[in-house]
Amino acid sequence: MTTVLVAEDDDDILLLVATRLRRDGYDVVTARNGVEALRLVRERKPDVAVLDIGMPPPDGLEVTRQIRDDRELASIRLILLTAKAQASDIQRGIDTGADAYVSKPFSPAELSARVAALLDG
Amino acid sequence: MRVSRDSWLVAGALSVQLVLSGIYFLFPRYGNVQYAIFEVFAGLAILEIAYGVRRYRPVPWSPWLVFALGIAAFIAGDIFTDAQPNAVSPSPSDISYLVGYPLLAATVVMLVISSGSHRRTGALLDAMIVTFAFSTFQWIYVMFPAVHASGPLGGRIVLGILFPVMDIILLGAAAGFFVTPAWRTPAFALLVLGMGTQLLGDTAVSLSPDYTGSGWTDWPFMASYIFWGAAALHPSMRRLGEPTERTVGGVSRWRLAVLAAALLSVPVARVIADVQGRMIGVWVVAALSGAICLLVIARIAGILRSMDRARRLLAEQNEELVQADRLKDEFIALVSHDLRTPLTSIIGYVELALDDGSDAPLDEERRRYLEVVARSSDRLLRLVDDLLLAARLQSGRFALNVGEADLEKVAQEVLDEMHGRAERKGVSLFAACEGPTIVEGDRRRLMQLLDNLVSNAIKFTPQGGRVELRVERALDGAIVEVLDTGVGIEEGDEERIFDRFYRSSSSVTEHVQGTGLGLFIARAIAERHGGSLVARRRENGGSAFRLELPARVVLTYPETEEELVA
Repeated sequence: MTTVLVAEDDDDILLLVATRLRRDGYDVVTARNGVEALRLVRERKPDVAVLDIGMPPPDGLEVTRQIRDDRELASIRLILLTAKAQASDIQRGIDTGADAYVSKPFSPAELSARVAALLDG
Repeated sequence: MRVSRDSWLVAGALSVQLVLSGIYFLFPRYGNVQYAIFEVFAGLAILEIAYGVRRYRPVPWSPWLVFALGIAAFIAGDIFTDAQPNAVSPSPSDISYLVGYPLLAATVVMLVISSGSHRRTGALLDAMIVTFAFSTFQWIYVMFPAVHASGPLGGRIVLGILFPVMDIILLGAAAGFFVTPAWRTPAFALLVLGMGTQLLGDTAVSLSPDYTGSGWTDWPFMASYIFWGAAALHPSMRRLGEPTERTVGGVSRWRLAVLAAALLSVPVARVIADVQGRMIGVWVVAALSGAICLLVIARIAGILRSMDRARRLLAEQNEELVQADRLKDEFIALVSHDLRTPLTSIIGYVELALDDGSDAPLDEERRRYLEVVARSSDRLLRLVDDLLLAARLQSGRFALNVGEADLEKVAQEVLDEMHGRAERKGVSLFAACEGPTIVEGDRRRLMQLLDNLVSNAIKFTPQGGRVELRVERALDGAIVEVLDTGVGIEEGDEERIFDRFYRSSSSVTEHVQGTGLGLFIARAIAERHGGSLVARRRENGGSAFRLELPARVVLTYPETEEELVA
């Protein structure tokens, strides 16, 4: 089964994303901050990680950087969740090594479609 | 300007009396009829003052009582003169007149004080400047010759010093009104006219040592009674003693003229005296001249200072306004951002609830409710996004995500999205494209731009109308036009509709929903691309919006940006 890690500090958003992805047939693990996210990435080796840029440190960008620096984790696909649909923000995320971004507010279906697209590609 | 009944009353009384005053000269000189006519005019003035006070109820009314007493003293003086025409100065008539003058001067001073003008340095300086300038003439033509003339000392002092000094005080006090708004009123003009004719009469009397009365020199005195009476009859008499606000001293043409006249009075008087071969009493004239110069300089310095104060105040207020505008933009940005977070939950959970994959399917009624929630939160989200974007555009913290955009595809997507809305409103939607039209730009923002234009066109086009979207390749870029057959743009509104939060009067009367941000954002996006967006009225009704985009983005702003909110 495909495993997706969702790291987000807002409980409501976390439940929203997790529910959508579970309904779509993914095995979902959740984290509420960067430390937890990094631990779960190493333990569970998910296929996709959805990271909130603004979660408690290390933030989404920092977690992305650390995952990309780790050769063992090279195959993980990364999606950044951003509250700011600003061009520079997105650019910074992509430069750090994220595969895609979804800006808040987003449709859960759209996020799920992004996950599916990354797994296909 | 509407002329009130009261103004007609004043004009009538004034002209009838001025004409009747001519009768005086038809009667034999030194006759009782002449004496009687003269006093009738003086008595009329007192009656007119009484009528004016009763009718207009000026606050305070005491200056007018003093004024009437002053005129009564003059009547007494006249009666003494008529009884003893050849009395030696200082005669009882001279004393009556000398009592009358201070009463007249006191009237003006009381009015000035109740209006608060005496507390203004400018008003005091104006009064002093006029006083000194007038003193120069009085000194050269009346006082100096009278003092050096032969005859009894008492008469010389009364005719040569006291009368002229009273005139000077009268004029100086009247000058105190210069800086209050009351000086433009008809009542003030008539009051000053009366004093002017009084001064004219006094000067004429002083200049003719063999004055015996009853000749043409009597007319100015009659005229001053007539003018004073008319002043009390005019409704504006009420305003003479009203407290006035401090006004910012400007350099009006009037004020400059008065100051220049004051400065020139001494040289002019000196030259005339020289031509006439008069003695002038050089020391007194030099002292007066010096005093006038210093006073005028003080006055001008005061005007400059008050203008400087006004300028500083304006700059401060301007700074505050800029600050307030910036705070407002920051506030909007902050609020919009904080609104987006809960909206994410609302939109997301509604979507989840409406999802057919759910274990417990919704009944039809609940589904309809949730669909309303979904539509409303979508609209709310768009509104918040527009506000946030507008705030960013305003503060310059907005950047494009530049890539390649095919305007034909963008247009097609916009039309697909708008199709439902146009159909519901009964508006037909057309597109005319020449094929792929590729420009450099932010695809998402360009879509937003066209979306705003088309949804705007649909909003303002009634049922049965048409909206057309045209995309053309240009020599160096592309031209997009959105044409509609709607209510059109009001004359002169072609630019204003792009202002932030501007709502045309038709959008208000037709109850068209909107924030007044759509066109502001559309134009801002066009300009960020180095393009332009203009609107015009179409000849057969409706509006046309023309967007010109360059093939390559012309960056007019720094590429990196400071984050507005973290």
